[in-house]
Amino acid sequence: MIAERRKQGHFIWADYVPLVLVGVAVLLVCFIIGPQRYYQRILLLVVLWMCICSNFNIISGYGGQIVFGYMLFVGAGGYTSVLLFKFLAVNPWIGMFVGAAVAAFLAFVIGYPTLRLHGHYFAVATVAFPLMAIPIVAQLGWEEVHIPFAGRGIESMQFTDVRYYVLMGAILLVVFLIIVRMIERSRFGYALQALKQNEAAAEGMGVHTHRVKLLAFMLSAFLTGITGTVYCFSILFLLTTPAAFGLFIIVRILSITIVGGIGTLWGPVIGSALLVPVGELLAAEVGDRWPGFQDLIYGIVLLMAIIYLPDGIWGKVTEIMRRRKTLPSAKVKAMVAPSNPNSPSKQGKSSSFSLVTSLPTDRGNEPHGSILRVQSVSKLFGGVRALQDVTVEVPRGKILGVIGPNGAGKTTLFNVMNGYLGPEQGKVFFKGKDVTYLKPHDLCQMGIGRTFQIPQIFNNMTILENVMIGAFARERNATRARAISEEIAQKMELTHRAEDQAVGLTILETKRLEFSRALATQPELILVDEPMAGLNPEESHHIGEIIKGIAESGITVIVIEHVVQSLVKFADYMVGLDEGRKVAEGTPEEVISNPHIIEAYLGEKWRRRYAKS
Amino acid sequence: METFIQLLVSGLLMGVSYGVLAAGLALIFGVVKIVNFAHAAFAVLAMYFPAFWFLEWWGIDPFISSIIALPIFFVVGYATQRMIIDKVIGTPAAEMSTLIVTMGLSLLIENGILIGWSGAPRIINLPYTLGSFKVGSILLNQAQTYSFIIALVLIAGLFVFLNKTMLGKAIRAVADDPESCAYMGINLRFAYCLAFGVGIAITASGGCLIATYRPFNPFYAETIIVIIFACCILGGVRSVQGALIGGIIIGCIQMLSTMVVAVALQNVAVFLLFVLFLYLKPEGLLGRKGRVV
Repeated sequence: MIAERRKQGHFIWADYVPLVLVGVAVLLVCFIIGPQRYYQRILLLVVLWMCICSNFNIISGYGGQIVFGYMLFVGAGGYTSVLLFKFLAVNPWIGMFVGAAVAAFLAFVIGYPTLRLHGHYFAVATVAFPLMAIPIVAQLGWEEVHIPFAGRGIESMQFTDVRYYVLMGAILLVVFLIIVRMIERSRFGYALQALKQNEAAAEGMGVHTHRVKLLAFMLSAFLTGITGTVYCFSILFLLTTPAAFGLFIIVRILSITIVGGIGTLWGPVIGSALLVPVGELLAAEVGDRWPGFQDLIYGIVLLMAIIYLPDGIWGKVTEIMRRRKTLPSAKVKAMVAPSNPNSPSKQGKSSSFSLVTSLPTDRGNEPHGSILRVQSVSKLFGGVRALQDVTVEVPRGKILGVIGPNGAGKTTLFNVMNGYLGPEQGKVFFKGKDVTYLKPHDLCQMGIGRTFQIPQIFNNMTILENVMIGAFARERNATRARAISEEIAQKMELTHRAEDQAVGLTILETKRLEFSRALATQPELILVDEPMAGLNPEESHHIGEIIKGIAESGITVIVIEHVVQSLVKFADYMVGLDEGRKVAEGTPEEVISNPHIIEAYLGEKWRRRYAKS
Repeated sequence: METFIQLLVSGLLMGVSYGVLAAGLALIFGVVKIVNFAHAAFAVLAMYFPAFWFLEWWGIDPFISSIIALPIFFVVGYATQRMIIDKVIGTPAAEMSTLIVTMGLSLLIENGILIGWSGAPRIINLPYTLGSFKVGSILLNQAQTYSFIIALVLIAGLFVFLNKTMLGKAIRAVADDPESCAYMGINLRFAYCLAFGVGIAITASGGCLIATYRPFNPFYAETIIVIIFACCILGGVRSVQGALIGGIIIGCIQMLSTMVVAVALQNVAVFLLFVLFLYLKPEGLLGRKGRVV
C-alpha cells in the first residue's frame, strides 16, 4: 500500500516519521544518560557529526563531487559567528545564519570555477582553500580566539547544561535529514544522482550539471555553516585554526560517511553512531599518553572501509534486503511468463511504436520547413579537420540518415548539433534559432533528444528512474515525471523490468532504454547514434521499427549508421560524409549509388568496376 | 635588486628539492594513474627516519641517509602499493577511492609519527645547516647547496632509469597504454608496484634533503602536499622533468612572494597559483597530451 502510494509520488508520512524518530531516540539517550556531563558531550558530538556528514552527503554523496576541503565550511561558519559575537556582540543565533551565508558564499566562489574540473582534480583543488585559510586567519590575528562566556543561556546560545545543546543538535539533525530526504525524492536529487554516475549523459538529458552541482555545493556549505556555529559554541572554548580548518575534520567526515554508506540518508547516522563514541572513549583512555591516537584510528578505519566496505553498512544492508526481495518475485515472473519477453519477433509490429502521441509535439515554427539547419560548419581537432564546411538541412518529420566510413566525422557532426562540441566556423539553427554555442542541456530543453553510440546508462538507478531523468527535462513534478516515464517504458516494453537496477541488460534492452530516456525528454528532434551496433539482423530490424514508429508520431529523426543496408530501408533522406566533407545528399538510392560513397566505403578499385558496369 | 637575486637563488635551491618530491608524485600519477595524497607524508616520515634518527643514534649524516632512504622506501612504497592501493584499483570509483585511501594513509603516518616521536618541531643541527658560501654578494646556504646537487643527481638518475633500463622502459610503456602492455607480457601489477616504490623512494630521499635545512614536525606534510601538487600541475602532471621545473618555479615564487607579503602568507600565493592553474591549464605549463613520464 505504502509502496504503491510512494510509486505514485504521493507524500508519504512513513518516509518522514523515521527521521523524526531519530531525533526522539537522541533525546531518549540523552534522558537515560542524565546529568553526566562527559557522556552528554559524547552524545552531542555524535549528533553534530551526524549533522555535518549529512550536509557533506548532499554534494559529495548524492552528487559524487568529493570536497576534500570541506572543513573550510565548518570553520567559516564557526569563525564568523564567534568573531561577530566576540567583537561586535552579535547574537549567535543571528551569527549562525551569517556564518552559514558566508560558507555558502565561499562555496559559490570556490565551486564556480572548480566544479568544472573532474574527479580528483576537483577534490585536490578544494583542499587548497582551507590550507589558505589557516595562514590568512592567523595573519589577521585570530589564530586562537577565546569564546567569551556571556552566560545568558538561550539568548547567547551558551548553556551550562550540555543537554540543551543535545536538544538543539537533535532538532538540527531532524531538519537536515528531512531536507536530504526531500532532495532524494525531488527532480534536483535525481539530477544530482544522474550527474554523479554519468555527467555527459545527464547533460544530454537536459540536466544543467554545473548549476545543479553548484547549488548542491552551496546548500551543503550553508547547512554546514549552521552546524559549524553550533559546534564552536557547544564544544570549543578556544577556537583555533587547526580545530576549525584541520585535515582531521575531512578524514572524520569521510570515515563516518563511508562506514555508514556514502550517498544514503542513513549512512551518516549509522557511521557517526558507531565511530564517534568509540573514538572519543579511546581518546579519553589513551589520549594523554598518545596524542593523535584518535586520528590514527580514523585513518585506519578509513583505509579498511574503502577496501572492504566501499558501500558502507547501509549499502550492505540494502543490498541484502534487495536480494531477499527480488529472488521470490523473479521466480513468480518466470512462472507467469516462461517465454522470453524480450524476443522482438513477437512484438515487432510498427503500429505498437506510435509513441508519445499523448505528449505535445508542436512547439515553435521554423522557416522553410526544416527543423535543423547546419550551415557550413567546420571543426578542427588539433591539425585534423573533423568537419569541413558541412551544410545539412533536416526536414521536419522525416528520417535523415547520415552515413560514412569510420572517421568520416559523423559523431562529430552529432556532437556539434547538440552542443557537446562548438564548431570553429559555421552555425547551427534549430527551429530557426541560432543554437551554435548552446550547451547540451539547453538544447535538450529546446527539444533535441539524443541516444549514444556507446550506451550511457545510469547503472545505479532503476530502469524507470533512468527514464525519469529524461522526463525531468520538461516536468518538474516527480509524480508526473514518473507517469510519463511509465507510459514510455510500457511502449518500449520495459515495464516488466522497470523497477530493476539498470545493470545486466541485454544490448537490445539497453538500446530501448536509451530510446525511452531520449523520448521522455519530449523532443521534436532526436539524434540516434549508431543504433544497430552490436545487434543481429533481427534485432536491427526491431530497432528500425522503433525508429519508424518515432518518426510516425511526428518526431524528426537523424540516424548515424555504419550499416548502410539497414538504414536504406527506413531513411527518407540521406547524407554521406567522408573525411569531414559532405560528399553526397539525396534519397537513399541516390546516395548509395554515389561514386564518392562507394569509393569511401569500398575503395578506388570498386568505383572503377562500378563505373564500368 | 640584490635581494631579488638572493631570493631567486634561494628559491632555485629550495625548488629543486620540491622538484624531487614532485617527480615522485608525477611518476606515480603517470603510471598508476592515482593521486597519492600520502606523498608528502612519506617525505616527512623520511625526515624523521632515516634522516633525523640515524643522525641521533649513530651520527650518520642526513645526506648519506638520503641515499640509504632509497632502498628502504622503495620497499615501503612497493608494499603500500601491493597491500593497500592494489585493492582499490580497478573498482568503478577507483579515482576517488584511491585518493581517499591515500588520505587515510597520510593521517596514519602523521599521527603515527606524532605518537611515536612526539609533535615537537625537530631540527637537524650540523655545521652546514646554517653555514653558507659566499658567491659575490650572494649567500648560498651550505645545506641547501649540497641538497641542490644531490637533488639534481637524483632526478638525473630517475631519468636514466626510466629511459635507459628495460624496467624503466616497461614502466613508461605502462604509463602510455596499460592494456597493450598486458598483452605484450608486462605484468601490470608488478609495474605499478615498481613505479610506486620508485616514486616513494625518490620522494623519501628528497625529504631527507629538505630536513637538512628546514625544521619539521609531523604535520608539515599537510602544508607541502599542496605545494607538491602545484609543482606537478605546473610541470604537466605526468612529466618528471616538468615536475623539476615546476618545483623550481614554485620555489622561486615562494621566496619572491616574501618581498610583497608576510612570510607566513608565502604559501597562500602558491596555493592561489595552484588553483588558478588547475582551472586555466590543467595540463600544465609543459604538458602536452600524450606526453608520458
